Amino acid sequence: MSPAAHAPGWEWFYIGLYFFFAGVSAGAYFIGSLAEFFGGGRHRGISRTAFYIAFPTLLLTPPLLVGDLGQPLRFWHLLFHARSGFPYINLSSPMSVGSWALVLYGAMAFLSFLDNLVVEGKIEFAPFAKAYSLVPRKVYAAVGSVAGFFIAGYTGVLLNVTSRPLWALTDPLVGALFVVSAGSTGAAAIYLVMKWRQIHPAPELEEFERFDRIVKVIEIALVVAIVVAAGKYAGVLFRGTYAVMFWVGAVLLGTLVPLASNLYAHRRGHHLRSEPAAGLMAYLVLLGGLLLRISLLQAGQL
Amino acid sequence: MPKGMFVDTTICIGCKACQVACKQWNVLPGEPADFRTDPVEKIPVAVNFTGDSYDNTADLTGTNWRRVRFIEQFPENRAGGRWLISSDSCKHCNDAGCLNACPTGALVRTDLGNVALRQDVCIGCKYCLPSCPYGVVAFSHETGTARKCTLCDERIHNGLGTACAKACPTGSIAFGEVAELKKKADARLAKLKSLGRGKANIYGYKEAGGLNVFYLFDDRPSVYGQPESPEVPQRRLPMTSAVTIAGAVAVGVAALVAFRERGQSDRGGEEVEK
Amino acid sequence: MGSNMAECHPVAFRWPLKAKTEHDAVLMHVDPRFTRTSAMCDVHVPIRAGTDIVFLGGIIRHVLESERWNTDPFFREYAVNFTNAATLVSPDYKDTEDLGGVFSGLSPDGKKYDNASWAYQRNPPPSPPAGKPETLSDLLLRKVPGRPKTDPSMKNPRCVLQVVKRHFSRYTPEMVERVCGCPKEGFLSVAETLLANSGREKTSNITYAVGWTQHTVGVQIIRNAAMLQALLGNIGRPGGGVLALRGHATIQGSTDIATLYHSLPGYLNMPDGRKAHDTLKDFVVTEGGPVATSFWGNYPKFIVSYLKAQFGEAATAANDYGYDYHPRITGDHSHMPMFLSMAEGKIQGFLVMGQNPAVGGQNARFQRKALAKLSWMVVRDFFETETAAFWRNSPEVKSGELSPKDIRTEVFFLPAAEVPEMDGTFTNTQRLVQAHDKAVDPPDDARSDTWFTYHLGKRLKAMYKESASPRDWAIRNVTWEYEPESREVAAWRVKDEPSAYRILKEINGYTVADGKPLPTFALLKEDGSTACGAWIYTGVVPEEGKNRAASRKADAWISPGWGFAWPANRHIMYNRASADAAGRPWSERKKLVYWDPAADSGTKDPAGKPVIGKWVAPSGEGIDFQVTKPPMFRGKDLALGFDWLSGNDAFIMRADGKAWLFAPAGLVDGPLPTHYEPYESPVKNPVYAQQVNPVAKVWKVEGNPYHKTADPQFPIVLSTYRLTEHHLSGTMSRWLPWLAELMPELFCEISPELAGEKGIRNGEYVTIRTARGEVQARALVTRRMRPFTVDGKTVHQVGLPWHWGWQGSAHGDVVNNLTPMVGDPNVSIHEGKVLTCDIRAGKKGGGAQHA
Repeated sequence: MSPAAHAPGWEWFYIGLYFFFAGVSAGAYFIGSLAEFFGGGRHRGISRTAFYIAFPTLLLTPPLLVGDLGQPLRFWHLLFHARSGFPYINLSSPMSVGSWALVLYGAMAFLSFLDNLVVEGKIEFAPFAKAYSLVPRKVYAAVGSVAGFFIAGYTGVLLNVTSRPLWALTDPLVGALFVVSAGSTGAAAIYLVMKWRQIHPAPELEEFERFDRIVKVIEIALVVAIVVAAGKYAGVLFRGTYAVMFWVGAVLLGTLVPLASNLYAHRRGHHLRSEPAAGLMAYLVLLGGLLLRISLLQAGQL
Repeated sequence: MPKGMFVDTTICIGCKACQVACKQWNVLPGEPADFRTDPVEKIPVAVNFTGDSYDNTADLTGTNWRRVRFIEQFPENRAGGRWLISSDSCKHCNDAGCLNACPTGALVRTDLGNVALRQDVCIGCKYCLPSCPYGVVAFSHETGTARKCTLCDERIHNGLGTACAKACPTGSIAFGEVAELKKKADARLAKLKSLGRGKANIYGYKEAGGLNVFYLFDDRPSVYGQPESPEVPQRRLPMTSAVTIAGAVAVGVAALVAFRERGQSDRGGEEVEK
Repeated sequence: MGSNMAECHPVAFRWPLKAKTEHDAVLMHVDPRFTRTSAMCDVHVPIRAGTDIVFLGGIIRHVLESERWNTDPFFREYAVNFTNAATLVSPDYKDTEDLGGVFSGLSPDGKKYDNASWAYQRNPPPSPPAGKPETLSDLLLRKVPGRPKTDPSMKNPRCVLQVVKRHFSRYTPEMVERVCGCPKEGFLSVAETLLANSGREKTSNITYAVGWTQHTVGVQIIRNAAMLQALLGNIGRPGGGVLALRGHATIQGSTDIATLYHSLPGYLNMPDGRKAHDTLKDFVVTEGGPVATSFWGNYPKFIVSYLKAQFGEAATAANDYGYDYHPRITGDHSHMPMFLSMAEGKIQGFLVMGQNPAVGGQNARFQRKALAKLSWMVVRDFFETETAAFWRNSPEVKSGELSPKDIRTEVFFLPAAEVPEMDGTFTNTQRLVQAHDKAVDPPDDARSDTWFTYHLGKRLKAMYKESASPRDWAIRNVTWEYEPESREVAAWRVKDEPSAYRILKEINGYTVADGKPLPTFALLKEDGSTACGAWIYTGVVPEEGKNRAASRKADAWISPGWGFAWPANRHIMYNRASADAAGRPWSERKKLVYWDPAADSGTKDPAGKPVIGKWVAPSGEGIDFQVTKPPMFRGKDLALGFDWLSGNDAFIMRADGKAWLFAPAGLVDGPLPTHYEPYESPVKNPVYAQQVNPVAKVWKVEGNPYHKTADPQFPIVLSTYRLTEHHLSGTMSRWLPWLAELMPELFCEISPELAGEKGIRNGEYVTIRTARGEVQARALVTRRMRPFTVDGKTVHQVGLPWHWGWQGSAHGDVVNNLTPMVGDPNVSIHEGKVLTCDIRAGKKGGGAQHA
C-alpha cells in the first residue's frame, strides 16, 4: 500500500451505483440459478423472479460505466484493441477480465430472461425456437452463475489490487465482502419483486431468512476484519459522511437491524413476523448494500 | 537494450529546468487547477503557493509529469544542515502496476523498456491511477485520458534522449542504456560512501522488478517521499481471487443450505408457478 | 560569496559541480542564507548581509599572519614580483587605523576624498624627450612619472604589505564573529582551506555576483577579494582568479560596448564636461596620462580608432576626428540620479528597452511616480510590462494617488523580438563572446532592438541631413551603414534587419583604406588609418567572413576554439603570472603560460638573425603579455605601455604592471577595503567610529527617506535576491505559465525564531515595511534563514526575492517599494542587498488583493 497512490476520482453516482446494481443483478441470478439447479422445480418462483430481475438490473450498468469514462465513446476499447481491432484481455487487470465477464454474464442473463418470457408465453419466435431449445436453460444458468459471481466479487478485487491505503490494506477481503453482500441484496431484491408480483413467498420467506442469517453473519465478520485490517487508515470510516454511511447505513441498518429482526423472528417462530416488516427489512438490506459500496469506494479516495 | 534515466540527486540544484523542458516538449499547459483567470486583465494567474520549501508543484498530475521535491534537514542549531533535492517522475518500472491494471492495452512497454501511455487507446477509466504505488499516473480533464511521463517515447525512438536529461544543466538526470547508467550510479555511490556519506543508496535496482528510472539518494527513500518497499499491487491478485472465490462458495453453500433443506418439508403439492 | 551561482547561473554551475565530483574540489559558500548553492557546497558559513569586508579582511589578516604564507617561498616570490606589496606609499598617507575609520584626504564636509596622500613614493621622472610633441603618444610620453620606489624585503613600514597588514590587523577571528555573526570555527575553516589550496600546486577561485556589487561598499568588497587572491598567488593562474558572474543575456557585453553612461566602448572614459576634456589632446592627457605606462598607454590609438569608427570619413586629423562634436556627460547620469531628474520634470522622453524600472528601480514608488512627469516614453518589450502599464494600473493609480487623466506621459508600447528571432552575440561570464543565430522570424510587427535602433537612427539622420548647426554634426556624420546582404535575410520575412556581422566587424575594427578586419589590436593606429568600435573585441572577426564568436570547438580544458574571450581570446587575464619571475611554470600541474627559451620567436633582430625565446601556451590559451618579451627584460624608463613594462610586469593594465594590493588611484572611497556598515543597519559599526562609507552616494530628497542607524522601528535586516524560476523583474518569466506556476507568489523567507516572535505561520501573509513603503508576501518559515548574534545582541534577517509585479500570470507586490536610493560612490550601483525593515503577521491594510 502507498499513501502516495492517486485516487482515481470515481464518482459514487456512476461507480458506486454500478457496484450496487451489478451486485444485485449477479446476486439475484446466482440465487435464481441455484434455485433452478437444486430446487427441483419447487423454487421456480424464485428462479423465475431472479431471472426477471437480473437482466434488466444489469442493463442499468453500461450507461453508468461508460458515463464515468474520460472518453465515453471509446468504451469498446475494453473489449477490442483500439489499434488492431482484435479482442483484447489483460489477465492481470480485474477491470479487463471483469469487462469480458460482464459481456458473458450479460449474454447469459439475457438468455435466461428470454427464457422466462418464452416459458411464460409472453413471446414466441418459432423460427429460432428450435435452435434456441438446443441449449438447455440450465447451461445458461450454470455459465451465467459463474460469470455472475465474478461480476459480484470482481469489483472488490479491483479495489483491493491497487495501492490506495484503505483498499490495499483490506486486501483480500473486499471481494469476498461484495460477493456476500451481493447474495444478500440479490435475495432481498428477489423477495421484494416476488411480493410485488404477488407470488406468495410465504414458505420461501423462511428460506430467504435462513439464507440471510448465514450471509449476514459472514458479512459482519468480514466487516470487522476489514476495519481491523485497515489499521490507522480505518480513520476515514470513522469521520464525516462516510462514517455515517458505513456504520449507520451499511452496518447498522443494512446488516445488524435486518439480522436482529431475523433472529428475533426465528426465536419466536416466523409467523410472528409480519410481511410488511419483512419488506422493510429487504429495503434496508438493499440500502445497506448501496451504502456499503459507496462508503468503501469514496472513503478510499479521500 | 533497455533505456532509462539515472537521477543523481546529489548534484541536483533544484532549478526545475526538467519540469519546464518536459512541458515544452510534450506541449503541456500550466496545471489548470493552479490558475484563476484575472477578471480585469483576462489572463490566467497562478495561485498555487504551497509553502512547502521551494516546491509549488505538490503532485504529479495529468499536466505535471515532473516534480522537484525539496527536503530541508536543519537541526535547531543549524549544524550539518542539508537541503535534499530530487526530481521526481515516472519510474518506468519493469513490473508496472499501471500497466498491469490497464484494461484496454493503452499502457504498453516498448522495445526500449519504457512504459508509454497511448493517448488514442486510453478510455479514461482511471484504473491505473490507484495502481501506481508512486502516485505518478494521473487523469487529465483536458484530454479525458490518463497521462504520465512517456520517457519521451518519440524522442528516444529517434536517436535522441529525454527532454529533461537534455535540459538538466548539471547532468543530474542522465539518459542512456540502463546497464551503462548502473555502472555510473555504482561508481557515484562508491564515491559518496568513501566520503563518509553512509546513508547514500541507490533506489530502483530491486524495487518493482527494477526501475528504469532510478535514483541516487543521500538518505532513506521515505525522506524523499518514495515508498520504502513499493509493492506491485497485482502481485496480490492470486490471493485476493482465491479469497473472493471462497466468499462465493460460502454464499453458494449458504444458499444451498437455506433453500435445499426446506425443499423436503411438508409443503407437498404447493405449486409455485408463474 | 556574494552570489548564488546554482540558482542564478545554473548552466555555468555545472563546472564547479564537475570540479567537485570528478576532481574533489572543495566548494564553500559564505552567504547570509542557505540557498540551493549552499546545498551543493561542502561548507556553508552564514554571515550577516553587508559584512563581507570583515570576512575577507579577516582572511587576509589570517593569511598574512600564517606560518605557511610566511615560510613557503612561493607567496613572497609572487607578492614581490607580481603585486605592489613592495611598493612604498607616500609618508602623508594616513590609514583608517589612524583616523577612526577614514583615510587621509577627506574633505572637511566629509563627502569627497583627495587621493594625493595615497600616491606612491617615486624616483625622479625621466628627462622628457627633446623636441615638440607631434602625436598624442608624444604628449603622453611627457607625462611618464618616475618608477615607484620599492622595498623588496617588504619590511619598510611604508611598503604596501606592511600598510595592508596594519590596516587589517583588527580583523581578527573574534571581530569576524562579532560583526558577521558567524561562528569563528566556520570562518577559520574557510580561511585555512583557501590558504591550504593556494600555492604552486593548487589554486583557488573566488566567484561573486551582485551579492557583492549591490552595496555602498560594493567595489571595495570585490577589491578585497582581488587583494586576497593576489596575496595567495591565485591571479593569472588556472583554477584561480576572481570570477565575476555576469548573468542576464549579454550583461558583460552591455558594459563592454558601453550602455553605461560614463564609458565608451572598450572601457574608455566618456568625455566629461566636468573634467579637463576640452580638446582631444586634453582628453588623452587627462585620461591616458595616469595610465600611460600600462597597456592603456595605447589610449591615443584606442580613442582615435573609436572616433574613426563613429564618424567615418568625416573624422579627420584636422577636426580631431570629430572629438569636439562627441557628446559629453556633465554629472552622474546613472539610473538613480536620472530618475531624480525625471521626478523634477527635467526629462522629456525616455526609451525603455530591456528594463522595467517600475519593478526593478530602487524606491520603486518614487520611480513610478517619476515616470508620470515625462512627456513621452517608449517601452519595447515582449509583454506589457509594469513600466508600460504604469499609467493605467500601477498601485499608485489603483489607490488614487495618481490619476491616468493627470498623467501627461504619452506611452508608446512597441513589441520586441526575442533572442532566437535575431542574429547576434552574447558576452557573459569570463568575457566569452558567443554568437547566436536567428532561428525564426519575430511575429507580426515585433522587431529586435537592433532593428529598432538602426531604423530610428536612419530616420533621425534623414531628418538632420540638411542641418547646418554644429550641434547636429555628430548625428549627421555618425557612420550608420549596417544594411544586410541579401543572403543574410533571404530566408526571412523581415528583410530590413540590420546585419549583425557588419556591426560586429565595426566593433572588431578594420583598416580604413581597404575595409579589411583587424586581426589584433596591436595593429591599431592613432593616425586615423584604423577604425575600431571596441578595442577589447579586436580579433573576434580576424578576417572577412570569419566570426570567432561562432566557433564551437570544445576541448577538455581552455577550449580556445569555443567562442572568443576578449581580449584576444585570453581566458585567464594576467596569465603571465602563471610562471615565476624567470618564466618557469610554478609547477607542472599548474602550467599554463611559460617562457620557452629555445623557441623561435618569429621575429628577427637588426642583424637579420632570428630572435630566440618566446612565451608559449600549449593549450591554445591567449597569452596576456608581449609574446617576445623575455622574463628578465627591464623596461625603459621613458616609454609607454609595453616598452615601459618589464618582463615580470604581468598586470599590464596597471600603470606599474603590478596587482594592486593598495590602490593609489582609481577609487573614490579609499585605497583599501574597509568595513562600513550598510547605509541602513541595525547596529553601530563595531569596527570603527565611522559608521558608513563617508562618500557613498546619498540623495536626501523628499520621497527617499532613510532609516537611522539602529532605528528601533526597523530592527530587522532585509536582503533581496533572485530565484532560478524567475528572471529579474519578471518581464519574461511571470508571463509564462510554465514559470509562473513554479513560483507563483511573492514570499518572504523568515527564520522560525523570528516567526515565533512575531506570531507568523508558514504560508500565511506577512507585511514588510520600510519608510519607503509596504509589501505583503507569503511567509516561508525556514531554518535556512537564521538569526545572527552581532556584538552580543540578536539581529534577525529576512529575505525577499524581488521578481514580482502586478502584471502577468504571477502576481506579487513590488519588493523595490521598500528599498531606498543609495549607492556605491565609484559606480553608483544601488545598495539593494541590505537594508533594514520591520515585519508583522497579516496583510497590508487597504487596497484590493489578487485572489
